[in-house]
Amino acid sequence: MLRATLKSALGHKLRLMLTAMSVMMGVAFVVGTFIFTDTIDKTFDELFADVYAGQDVIVQSHSEYDVGLGVPPPFDEAVIDTVLGVPGVAAAEGSVSGFAVIYDEAGTAIVPTGPPTLGGSWVADERLAGNSELRDGREPSASDEVAIDARTATAHDLVVGDTIDVQTVNEVGTYHLVGIVGFGEADNLGGATIAIFDLETAQRLFELEGKYSSIAVKADEGTTSEALTERIQAALPDNMEAVAVADEVAAQTQTMKEGLGFLETALLIFAAVAVFVGAFIIQNTFRIIVRQRQRELALMRAVGATGNQVIRMVVIEALLVGLVASLLGILFGFVIAWGLTAFMDAAGFSMPSTSAPLTLRTIVVGLAVGVLVTVAAALVPAVRASHIPPVAALHDMDITLRMSDRARAIIGGILLLVGTGFIVSGLFQALIDIGPLNQLTRVGIGAVLVFLAVSLLSSNVVKPAATLLGHRSVLTVVGFVSGLALVGAGVGLVVYGASSGLGTAAAMLPLALITAAVGIMAVYLGLTVVRDRFTPSLAVQNAVRKPRRTATTASALMIGLALVTFFFIMGDSIKATAGRAIDEGLRADYVISANAFVGGFSPTLADDLAQRPEIAAVTSMRIGYWDLEGTQQMATGLDQTTADQTMFLDIQQGSFTALSDGGVLVLDTVAEEEGWTVGDEIPMGFAGGLQRVEIVGIFTEQNQVQPYVVSLDFLMENASGYGSDLDNVVMVKAAEGVAPEVSRALVEAVAADYPNATVRDQAEFRASQEAQVSTMLMVFNALLFLAVIIAIFGITNTLALSVYERTHEIGLLRAVGMSRSQVVRAVSWEAIVVAIIGAVLGIVVGSVFGVVVAVAMASQGLTVLSIPVLQIGALVVFGAIAGLIAALFPARKASRLRILDAIAYE
Amino acid sequence: MVTTVPRTDLAAARMTAAVKQYGQGETAVTALDGIDVSFESGRFTAIMGPSGSGKSTLLHCQAGLDVLTSGSAYIGEVDLGSLSDKDLTLLRREKVGFVFQAFNLIPTLSAKENVLLPLLIAGAQHDAKWFDEVVGILGIGNRLSHRPAELSGGEQQRVAAARALVAHPAIIFADEPSGNLDSRAAAELLGFMRGAVSDYGQTIVMVTHDPVAAAYADRIVFLGDGRIVDEMTHPTMEAVIDRMKQFGG
Repeated sequence: MLRATLKSALGHKLRLMLTAMSVMMGVAFVVGTFIFTDTIDKTFDELFADVYAGQDVIVQSHSEYDVGLGVPPPFDEAVIDTVLGVPGVAAAEGSVSGFAVIYDEAGTAIVPTGPPTLGGSWVADERLAGNSELRDGREPSASDEVAIDARTATAHDLVVGDTIDVQTVNEVGTYHLVGIVGFGEADNLGGATIAIFDLETAQRLFELEGKYSSIAVKADEGTTSEALTERIQAALPDNMEAVAVADEVAAQTQTMKEGLGFLETALLIFAAVAVFVGAFIIQNTFRIIVRQRQRELALMRAVGATGNQVIRMVVIEALLVGLVASLLGILFGFVIAWGLTAFMDAAGFSMPSTSAPLTLRTIVVGLAVGVLVTVAAALVPAVRASHIPPVAALHDMDITLRMSDRARAIIGGILLLVGTGFIVSGLFQALIDIGPLNQLTRVGIGAVLVFLAVSLLSSNVVKPAATLLGHRSVLTVVGFVSGLALVGAGVGLVVYGASSGLGTAAAMLPLALITAAVGIMAVYLGLTVVRDRFTPSLAVQNAVRKPRRTATTASALMIGLALVTFFFIMGDSIKATAGRAIDEGLRADYVISANAFVGGFSPTLADDLAQRPEIAAVTSMRIGYWDLEGTQQMATGLDQTTADQTMFLDIQQGSFTALSDGGVLVLDTVAEEEGWTVGDEIPMGFAGGLQRVEIVGIFTEQNQVQPYVVSLDFLMENASGYGSDLDNVVMVKAAEGVAPEVSRALVEAVAADYPNATVRDQAEFRASQEAQVSTMLMVFNALLFLAVIIAIFGITNTLALSVYERTHEIGLLRAVGMSRSQVVRAVSWEAIVVAIIGAVLGIVVGSVFGVVVAVAMASQGLTVLSIPVLQIGALVVFGAIAGLIAALFPARKASRLRILDAIAYE
Repeated sequence: MVTTVPRTDLAAARMTAAVKQYGQGETAVTALDGIDVSFESGRFTAIMGPSGSGKSTLLHCQAGLDVLTSGSAYIGEVDLGSLSDKDLTLLRREKVGFVFQAFNLIPTLSAKENVLLPLLIAGAQHDAKWFDEVVGILGIGNRLSHRPAELSGGEQQRVAAARALVAHPAIIFADEPSGNLDSRAAAELLGFMRGAVSDYGQTIVMVTHDPVAAAYADRIVFLGDGRIVDEMTHPTMEAVIDRMKQFGG
């Protein structure tokens, strides 16, 4: 039996290859995500181990709440004497850290997008320096000397002996570059630029005279880290703490991993989509395989195989396909991980050359996902195969092995209801509450069920949809529009290539030519409809002759495009909401924002602007993390004295100025959910300790702020951390009567000294906000593209099998006068019709998802629902193009069929 | 035999020194081994021979479905070997009709669409009067809206025959057209084909191994081992059976 299975599996290489491909890509995505996140984890493990190598205990101020990127506040340097006095301490040295921007030799600031720009002090005692090592030069030892990280040095051609500028909170200084520093194998710390000064200089530059950020301690030989930690802790005052280095490394690594946890979750969700789409393809393939092999299977039954043996045969074949595909997927996972790493590297996040670890978990999960999904998807066709009666060996009979239409409709309807229930319960928790599953999981399960339901029910719409699509004018338009889109894309590629240099142009040319060629083919298809009505009508009839097969094939494409549509609607709604927030909530003329996720620029910028007569109001804003009964929250700290002139939050009760005494303004939806009213006190846990803060007002429009707003002074007193002394955003309102050109020039001139501050007027600010959303959308859609590619494979696969089934028919058509080009066109139109049905189903399902989720998120600030009709409509064209590409191979194959095969019957 | 259409001495199709080999070297099989044959216009020719005699290969090569290894095949005065695949396709579409033993019809198309298939493919208008006449003679007028799966075997072959006729082809090739039919349905189909030749001057070349079917023809060409071994004109069933006995077929 096994031998028979193996033989039949090997007998259909192409079919298996295409099927395996859809499994492989899903598995590769899963495995790639794991390898990538493992690499990040490993990187941080090694990074922190390197940073703290040689140290045993860290002494720092005690923070009750470990929130966000908060680091403990600085403390008096006199503490070092206490530490040095503890028996067992071999060496101890204090250090400080702060904000510093390095300039290259041309005077341009080096500001990575995202990672921070760090400043630090040189650790003089080699025993405490960890794996930080001088790659070149010497340590900074004078007030005009600096050392920088190796990555910044190589990326910007800075070498020892250069003279460079470095900006710190209050000044831009000129320094001699005396040293290049590496950190173990890494060239920098997670993408940050680092400038290192001698301790005294660093303390002055970071405004930490007489203070330390932390003290590193080395234990005597024979004294354990734990024992020393306890001893030092006992000697320290209450607001200080000693932490064993191993614990500190673990804690820091954990914080980083948690910070990046969302990345793993997001990537795995996209991987799950790819696997899910793959499952559709597998199911369809096995269904067709069983139909094709009906006589063979019936013969096996006739010679004595039991139904169970037939099931086993199909399942073993699925097992083999799943296994091989999973193994290939694991290999291909390295490519995906490499791609993700390259992407991070391009974004400035230096990943050391440590090889991506392949853990047992990765292999097990990859194999399990691939094999289980393949077998599960093949199970239904396998059971159907076991119902083939032996008599089917004698004639080619069409046996109804499937669910009746009624059963399909009922099951589809039930799935739809249950799925909708899950989604609603996830989105509107108040309406239905089903146990412990979290909201995202519920929505996810609901979406899966809805997709299954639509795929079951959609076989009913295949016929009317295809008939509608088959109308000549529709086909002509489809051909022309998608063709012109492709030709345009081809020309665009060439223009883009030419604009970015000859080398790029040459690299782009083949892709451009292929794109344009497919485009011309589409236009040709559109043209031929005018004089050849028969070919498209044959294609449409072929598309509807197996409505379920068509429905399953189209459903695979539906899933990917439904999610694209969903993201289009969400993205557009977010843009529209942001736009409204700017229109209604932004009273400032200019917004100066830091181009970094955290931290920002020196408050001297705001101070300087505030003194100019041309400026009416300047509002500094910063973000702080705090803890609300175990969950991390963010608060905006702002200058409450000027906020009224620069922004509008529609404060219902209270006012900005009420913040002066240390209260908090809360967003109305949050207050409602928590049952808070003005006058209540809420517990806000900051790094500096727990504060009970009175609610002094409720605001209804969350424009440019977090749901909690406090005064800048309050935030600085309580939240500490990297960049807490820096402004993140500064809103500027020009004085009445000052011409825009004048105020703009002034603001630009002042901001010019702050390299990571960008000045935008209202329109530019709006555009930048929209650009952020667009970038995010692009990343999401790029990830979904994999699912779409798998779906295209599915269409190719189904078509190839259909062509194979219709060998006789195609041969007959060729014999009675159908030309090769007509055969190509018939297969192409069929693919296009199937793909467009998938695209339209996807658009419908995705639009419903999008609208429902957007409505559900209204309470979370998504107040405008906006549907980008053109973008979504373009997906139909995209679907047509996907179909055309899917058809290329089977159409060619069909046109090359030997005519005599039609007449050569067995 | 009375014909209303004037005979022409021009052959509707012919082959000269036709050789067809399958495979290469040691394993090469010669299906046609130097055939010279001509099929006259307005006549019904049957090709007979035992299995493996090359009769189907002859038909395929003569009809432009397969290509000769050497020698020439003509339809009218057109040398098939000189045509591109595209021109060959157009020639089949315009000049040739086919009736096969099985898989004659496109299952998604109605009987009417199947009859009109060559014209639909060409995007040409059909001659409504001729269509009605053909359909009427074949007795499928009331089956036109049905799909092939809803037709009996005899009806399916009659639809195929109607398709072969409807475009006024220069020649019709039939490959065991009655092979899958019971004797009554076979007689109906062959009677119709005979009528198409006698009444309308149609040219038909038919491959068969059935003496009953062959007896409907004006002339029989006997094939053996890829060569023409005999010919017979105005055959009767008995004569055909006698002749076949001589060959041991």
